[in-house]
Amino acid sequence: MKIKFFNLIKNKRNIFSISSFLLLLSLTGILTSSFSPKIKKPINLGMDFLGGNEIRIERKCNNICSEIRSDEIIKSLKKFPNKNLLNNINFQIQNDNKLISIRTPFIPLEQSEELLKNLDTFLGPLDYESKSARSIGPKLGKKLLLNGSISLIISLIAISIYLSIRFDKKFAIFALAALFHDLFIVFGVFSWLGILISVEVNSLFAVSLLTIAGYSVNDTVVIFDRIRENLKANDKGAKNQIIELSVNESLRRTIFTSLTTLIPLFTLIIFGSYTLFWFSVSLALGIIVGSYSSILLAPSLLLEER
Amino acid sequence: MNRRQGWFFFIIFLLAFSIYLLINYPLQLGLDLKGGSQLTLQLIKKEGDVTKDELDSVKAVLDKRVNNLGVSESNLQTLGSNQLILELPGEQDPLSAKRVIGKTALLEFRKQSPNTDKELRDLQLQRSKINILIKEFDELIKRKIDENAITKIKNSLIEIEDKISFKSNEKDIYKDLNNTRKYINKEIANLFLKTDLTGKDLVNAGRRQEQVNNNWEVLLTFTNQGGEKFADITKSIAGTERLLAIVLDGESISEASVGNQFINTGITGGSATISGNFNAEESRELEVQLRGGALPLPIEIIETNTIGPILGSKNIEKSLYAAILGLVFVGLFMIINYRVLGLISVISLIFYGFFNLALYSLIPVTLTLPGIAGLILSIGMAVDANILIFERVRDELKNGNTLIRSIDNGFLRANSSIIDGHITTLISCIVLFILGTNFVKGFSATLGIGVLISLFTSLNCSKTFLRFITSYQSMRQKKLYIDNLNLKSNLTENEK
Repeated sequence: MKIKFFNLIKNKRNIFSISSFLLLLSLTGILTSSFSPKIKKPINLGMDFLGGNEIRIERKCNNICSEIRSDEIIKSLKKFPNKNLLNNINFQIQNDNKLISIRTPFIPLEQSEELLKNLDTFLGPLDYESKSARSIGPKLGKKLLLNGSISLIISLIAISIYLSIRFDKKFAIFALAALFHDLFIVFGVFSWLGILISVEVNSLFAVSLLTIAGYSVNDTVVIFDRIRENLKANDKGAKNQIIELSVNESLRRTIFTSLTTLIPLFTLIIFGSYTLFWFSVSLALGIIVGSYSSILLAPSLLLEER
Repeated sequence: MNRRQGWFFFIIFLLAFSIYLLINYPLQLGLDLKGGSQLTLQLIKKEGDVTKDELDSVKAVLDKRVNNLGVSESNLQTLGSNQLILELPGEQDPLSAKRVIGKTALLEFRKQSPNTDKELRDLQLQRSKINILIKEFDELIKRKIDENAITKIKNSLIEIEDKISFKSNEKDIYKDLNNTRKYINKEIANLFLKTDLTGKDLVNAGRRQEQVNNNWEVLLTFTNQGGEKFADITKSIAGTERLLAIVLDGESISEASVGNQFINTGITGGSATISGNFNAEESRELEVQLRGGALPLPIEIIETNTIGPILGSKNIEKSLYAAILGLVFVGLFMIINYRVLGLISVISLIFYGFFNLALYSLIPVTLTLPGIAGLILSIGMAVDANILIFERVRDELKNGNTLIRSIDNGFLRANSSIIDGHITTLISCIVLFILGTNFVKGFSATLGIGVLISLFTSLNCSKTFLRFITSYQSMRQKKLYIDNLNLKSNLTENEK
């Protein structure tokens, strides 16, 4: 595979515009999400963080499942004792009317069973072997959110310490800037996904942010290492040219390493189970943005003005 | 040369050992892969923090109740300072688990019927036998299912069942074992006469360590009325061969004798100690049972997770499919770009996979869906290390170095970048593992282990294989290693 020479100095402007555009887009996403009456938060928090109850179950049908609509299901539940629940229940019907996923606020197990029994009479027979159910209390949700945020902050601090030991001040700050750039964009994209197609973030999203942080810094470190090495080797040459050359020397390997990580992630996105879908998407997105920022953004920050 | 071959055989030996481990100690699958229920329970305390002792006591009580569910491989673990995680593989109905967790048992004190010594001794013997069998079975299912050992347990069980003329006809041997134990305990309880002393007369139960021989003993404190009843009962059996039994829900859990010195008054003062050769664990269990199995602190179910068995196997199938396909593509990519080097990295990746899995079963790490994602991601990172090295080797070759020298230098010069990259990932993994919840831990564990092993395989395995191959003259042609030697001009040329 051949990779063409990339003219970093010339494209500095373009790179800054692209990054500014992406950052601005993310910021609008986060603001829109914060002010949207439905979400009211910077990102659409899922059940993991807010607490709630989710049941996914398949119907047993011969060949084709009869068509159903969620308002019909709610109507059929009129006799259900907990009226408050009925106002906050949410049905999604997928896979040609076969898969039903039910979302409710946090309710005790008994009520959840009762609900299923009621549904069985209307939608049934249901295939209990295929059921998956999750319920998370609101207290635990808050704790998970706190834990996720703390983990993120602590590992960012740890990475900053590591970078400041490893490089001098300027390099370390730019590497960190690139890292925040990546995390902010992934966060912003998920804010937009939350607004547009109600994608929710759960604990795995926090995990993916942390993994992206590790990965993105890794790429930046490799390129900065190369730059430092080359700068030491020829102190006479123009600094900007050396940076550009170093970027091009590591271009191939950065693209390759990102590709080999992206390949398995894409197979996970396409073939893996739904639990890991958005997790893999955010990882893949983070790795793409991360390689872009390591190859192009971080080194262009180092370029000197003429 | 000798040392190189030494490494080569060492790595082959490691592979053989990993395969051996995997055959004998199969991977433990999480509930999202095998189906079942998981409940997270939280202790509720109004004031102050939950102490370690309280958490352990609640766990002991729940352990007992959960065992009564008869779900094999059920697992109860403490999580943090005030939570417990209960896993019930195969159980689709967390509601029934909730009912069992919530119930309290009836505690009674009974005294032995006259002239039942022989029957009691026989039953006690069978009980100790069945306890050993259950322990053996618990150990067994953690490893490979060994048909011979299971048959042995079955035979011993039948032997015991014959002795006590009881037949449990469950499909599941674990349920059979538990049923038989229950039956024996009930039979023992039947050898005892009911008294009017019950759990209601008990104020407290505690335990302490004896100073002389470090054994544990269990203390009982009765109400005033209970103390009188207890004195009466002990007086009536003191100095005889008759024993006092503690009966929980109709099953005798412990039998004790009353010493000669109490023949005139019985045990007075409203309190008593039960001593025997208890260890800490046993004394805690007895203490818990004496409290009528009541929970020292109330609990609340804060999270439940149920996954149907079909869904579980679907999850495995899908992620395996995705993982293997991903690996095949990555392998192809490497071979196309790096030729012999690529092939070698594919081989060391296969080794890498085996080492990883072997460590999972050795530690053991329970494999969950996020865990699989961690594994897949760690494979991507292991390939990264190889690419770093190979790119350096290419650079060296382009600079006109000999093959062997290029390889040595390539590995040497890639070292620092590889270690850097692995450290940043490890930082995230460690933070995740310490602060994360169950699911998150699975991911960080597999990714972290993967990163550590990758340090070994990429720096060591690939190198050893390369040296092994390049020890053959025919494999030393440069064109086998890089496609195009003119790339250097491409780099310096500035396209305008």
